[in-house]
Amino acid sequence: MLSSIPQQHTLLRLEGVTKRFGGVPALDSVDFNLREGEIHALLGENGAGKSTLIKILAGIYSLDCGCVLLHEKTIHIHGISDADRYGIRVIHQELSLAPNLSIAENIYLGREPHRWGWLNRKKMMEDADALAVRLELNEIRPVDRIVSELSVGRRQLVEIARALSCESKILILDEPTSSLSDVETEALFAALRNLRAQGVGIIYISHRLEEIIRLADRITVLRDGQAIGTQPVSQVDRRELVRWMVGRDIVDHFHRSEYDPGAVALEARDVRNKWVNGVSFEVRYGEILGLAGLVGAGRSELARALFGIDAIDEGEIRIDGTPVCINHPWDALGVGIALVPEDRRKDGLVMIQSLAFNLALPWTREWNPPFFPDRRKRESIIQKAIDNFQIKTADPEQCIDRLSGGNQQKALVGRWMEKRPKVLILDEPTRGVDVGAREEMFRLINQLVEDGMAIVMISSDLEEVLNCSHRIALYRDGRIIGTAPSDSLTPEEAMARLAGISA
Amino acid sequence: MVKAMKEIAPLLLATGILLAFFGWYVPNFLTLENMLDLMQQVSVNAIMAFGITLTILIGGIDLSVGAVMALVGTATVYILSFGGSESQNFFLLVFALCVGLGVAALFGAFNGVCAAKTKMPPFIITLATMLIARGAAYCFNQARPIPVSDNQTFFLALGNGRLFGFLQVPVPVIVMLLLFALTALILHRTSFGQHCYAIGGNREAARFTGIPLARREISVYILCSLLTGVAGFIHTSQLYSAEPDSGNGFELNAIAAAVVGGTSFTGGIGTMYGTLIGAIVIGILDKGLNQAGVHFSIQRIVKGLVVLAAVYLDVRRRSRSS
Repeated sequence: MLSSIPQQHTLLRLEGVTKRFGGVPALDSVDFNLREGEIHALLGENGAGKSTLIKILAGIYSLDCGCVLLHEKTIHIHGISDADRYGIRVIHQELSLAPNLSIAENIYLGREPHRWGWLNRKKMMEDADALAVRLELNEIRPVDRIVSELSVGRRQLVEIARALSCESKILILDEPTSSLSDVETEALFAALRNLRAQGVGIIYISHRLEEIIRLADRITVLRDGQAIGTQPVSQVDRRELVRWMVGRDIVDHFHRSEYDPGAVALEARDVRNKWVNGVSFEVRYGEILGLAGLVGAGRSELARALFGIDAIDEGEIRIDGTPVCINHPWDALGVGIALVPEDRRKDGLVMIQSLAFNLALPWTREWNPPFFPDRRKRESIIQKAIDNFQIKTADPEQCIDRLSGGNQQKALVGRWMEKRPKVLILDEPTRGVDVGAREEMFRLINQLVEDGMAIVMISSDLEEVLNCSHRIALYRDGRIIGTAPSDSLTPEEAMARLAGISA
Repeated sequence: MVKAMKEIAPLLLATGILLAFFGWYVPNFLTLENMLDLMQQVSVNAIMAFGITLTILIGGIDLSVGAVMALVGTATVYILSFGGSESQNFFLLVFALCVGLGVAALFGAFNGVCAAKTKMPPFIITLATMLIARGAAYCFNQARPIPVSDNQTFFLALGNGRLFGFLQVPVPVIVMLLLFALTALILHRTSFGQHCYAIGGNREAARFTGIPLARREISVYILCSLLTGVAGFIHTSQLYSAEPDSGNGFELNAIAAAVVGGTSFTGGIGTMYGTLIGAIVIGILDKGLNQAGVHFSIQRIVKGLVVLAAVYLDVRRRSRSS
């Protein structure tokens, strides 16, 4: 395959690209190059800098340092329209098609062929069909079908066709197979190989090692914002790749509390619903159970089921050995389960309200009996959360949107402190939080465990979850594939098992 | 409280300017009698606007209020008419009022259950129940108005009576102020109110906090309909007859009052104080323009422009402060 294009020109080159967010480098002088007719995989853990890199190429972020060269000429990408002009097209995880329009209409959205101001539907259909033929994307023909009738895999191909309809030479795919079936994945791979043969350079982002090894020509591994190394896939050493992805020489800087487990606090027995596939586990008082899994493994769905957001079809949940019935979040709170959701802006906080409003909201019944609020009680609830979780704010009545991500996250955990729950489920508690706040968060979580709380911590940061938890449950495809003491597992082993390969 | 005053300060200023303008332009505008009259005209719209504010606050809307009001009026007077022309029967009166409120509550519960338990948008649900309520109102007395007999003194006093000796405060104004106090307390002094703000501000976050979304939502729609029912009694009483055609477009007037008063259509923002003043502003415009002899066509245009200006200023103020 590689030999089909003997003289491979470098299409795109990144030199010393650096991007910081509030002083924290997300990308740290990264070098990277993409050749014509190549599929170049970008590999790395969540938060390694993959998406920052894409966003720079897509013109969503501007870079702080370094340069981007196209055909060995420096280019400046200041916006999405610039990226378009240079022929760089990104296909994001969430597809951006209009589901109510036809394939052809989607492909030419925004630049519909017209004559004297009237839409030339016939030409649009013909052009789209010709494009599908040229790209050998036969799955999207006939092109007059409505997109909502297509499978997710086909929709992805429509996106690719749209990206390449305007002579794009560089195609970036972000986790394209995360929601595809095996058959659809094969179809996508066939299409990508075809495009490669036509000289398109493809940057392919995934953390599924197996599929990258089958598809890509070269692999670059990113970790903590740095390009660790690039290997041709023919010479790849899986062990080394895993070590590149996870391996770090940093000794754990999170201190874990003493492991002194008490009685079983929460026990789940064969819990099932649409997303959860028969999960059984237990967590004890004074214990942190880490739930590790890759994005899309369905860990948040388990948390939602335990908290009563999604209904449980089968199985049993026991608190202190007594079976409980959880149909709504208030049932869960009633038996002592609290949840800190993953997406704090979407599911956690009322962003248009004040910090105080958000802290007092779960306890309205405490400070506000039927009529007339008890101001003092409200103050004390708010103050307790602020003190317990060291939320930094000048005025609690300040709009919560103005607080830093770390403080917002602390508010989200701290608001459960009024009447401490027995079991606290933390879904990605350090997402979008800077390093300092992250360590503070862990210190506070440890304090809670030492006070005897049972904690389930969901995280896709393997190092973090291995370091902080006492026991770890590996989660994949809606079920727990194994439990082990956290000390007994290296990040490499965990990663290999989560990615479904034995290293 | 200080915050609430700051919120409505611009609105109070606008009210003052409007009053000053009409006071200068229209002779005898700022007399006590005229002001009480104004408040009496405002009351029906204001009472409906209190309910509408709650629905908008939780991210919904209730378009059915105008039609439900007509239905409540016809149903109540229909039952009252069984009493014939004999002196009024208190048992019958109470029964009629209860039926009226019951009908309203039924529509509110239906709206609420649909909004909470299905994915249908409240706009469409209440558009449909608006048609249903209007149709039901036409079912009485072959769609002709039903007069309220003269001996129903209590019912007629509800819309036309005056209290407090020399002050001569119209009864509807007293009812409006009582309902304002009640709804303001509910919204600003109870957990229920807190939950309304949370649901409108971020529905998912409210769910994750353990707030019973469906119960709260259904209660809001029932409350809105009950308020509409009371407005229906007053309106019918003022007309001396139940007219199945009445209340047309009243829902839009009530929405205008809520919106002028600073209630945001995105949900989660708004106060009862604001809505009350919003209703008064619209009332001043109506009465002032009327007494200034402005043609009703122009009145409508001016009102539309004022609503637009009020919302524009409010949106701009908010986006600047955040």
